[in-house]
Amino acid sequence: MSAKNVFRALGLSLIALFVFGFVIGAIGSALFGGSPFLPTPEVHLPPQPVFESDAHEAHELHKLPSRFMLTNTILSSLIASVILVGLFFFGTRNINADARPKGLHNFLEFIVVSMYSFVEGVAGRGNTRRFFPLFATMFLFVLMNAWIGLIPLYQSLGFMNDGHFERHLLRPAGTDLNMPLALAIISFIFVEFWGIKTLGLSYFGKFFRFGALLKGRIFEGLIDIFVGVLELLSEFIRLISFTFRLFGNMTAGEILLLMTAFLVPFVFSLPFYGLELLVGFIQALIFAGLTLVFVTIAITPHHDGEEGH
Amino acid sequence: MAELGFHWPSLVVYLVNFTALLIILYMVGFKPILRVLDERSRRIQESRDQAQVLQEESVMRQGEMDQQIKDARKEGQAVIEQARQAAQRVRDGEREKARQEADSFISKAQAEIQRERDIAVDELRREFGDLAISAAERVVRRSLDKDLHKDLIEQTLTESDLLEKDGK
Repeated sequence: MSAKNVFRALGLSLIALFVFGFVIGAIGSALFGGSPFLPTPEVHLPPQPVFESDAHEAHELHKLPSRFMLTNTILSSLIASVILVGLFFFGTRNINADARPKGLHNFLEFIVVSMYSFVEGVAGRGNTRRFFPLFATMFLFVLMNAWIGLIPLYQSLGFMNDGHFERHLLRPAGTDLNMPLALAIISFIFVEFWGIKTLGLSYFGKFFRFGALLKGRIFEGLIDIFVGVLELLSEFIRLISFTFRLFGNMTAGEILLLMTAFLVPFVFSLPFYGLELLVGFIQALIFAGLTLVFVTIAITPHHDGEEGH
Repeated sequence: MAELGFHWPSLVVYLVNFTALLIILYMVGFKPILRVLDERSRRIQESRDQAQVLQEESVMRQGEMDQQIKDARKEGQAVIEQARQAAQRVRDGEREKARQEADSFISKAQAEIQRERDIAVDELRREFGDLAISAAERVVRRSLDKDLHKDLIEQTLTESDLLEKDGK
């Protein structure tokens, strides 16, 4: 069988599968009658507890109890973390400068060097070493949490109750508001910490700009104060923008995949899986990249208006 | 916020999770890889420095070698010049010696010729004197005092020699 025939057979199979999916999916069922192949997807923004007792309590309270519990997103996040640690642990075992890098070590080295170059390009050579671990961990954590949800059957695992699907066992952590918020808080802490550590008390000068006003330039002074207030606000607004950008993108991606699978099962979802791979990468890069940019801005000495700029 | 899923304990868990991951990845992953990369960069830099040193050394050695070749050439030329001068001196000496030998030989030959000539001249004079006396005796038909006439003949011959020389 020639390669051309193989491709032709594969193409025909995909078309047949698409047609089949269309007929048995929600659209086909609405057109031709019958019930859809998949049950109507339910979107739950809050994560769901993994254990039965916690789930029961949450169901009664109509919200998560105010205590620690293992949710499906936390479990997913832990799995993603373990995978990352495992990859780096096994990939960097017995490494030395004499041996030629190969296999997993080579792959990890490629990733580390790429991220290192990125940080160097943004923050400059002198700051790369101290910013790199935060940037790299943030990027890999967001990326792994986004991609882990694309593993086939990952989100199909769950618990049944009385014949219907009750809750998922695993759900990508990016779809849990708490995960992006935690990362945004960490980003905020590091930005302020490095800003203060590098510039000292003068770091706060960009928020409290009274120089021009004290020198009698009232109009300019008022504008400076206003700009300072905006700067201060933007530091906190970043928390929200960071959080909801990632949360929104990840949640929207999940809903998109759920809906495409519901409307036309099987083949139709494939392009969207590809799209979600790209979205996961871009979001990881944006989150880590913006943190890096904000840190770099924070450590850059600023000049007040009275200096003639 | 609760509708969106905000949950304090989960937030704390994620904060701890990320912080722990940051520390572990740094210790287990980034630090060893960066150490290896640094080590590799250091070695490459060392090799580059070493190559630079070797190149400089090579240039220096090349210069020294060129100088040595130049000195050797100069020395060789000096030796050749000395040899040429020595050869010239030997040649001149030999030539002088040969000339002296030739002069001496010629002088000897000339002396021999002169001596032979003197002998021949003496012989001829003697015979010529006897012949002249004999001829005169025949002319006057009497014997002549040999010794007396000999003196006359000698005188005549001497005069004739002088005349001959004057005639030349």
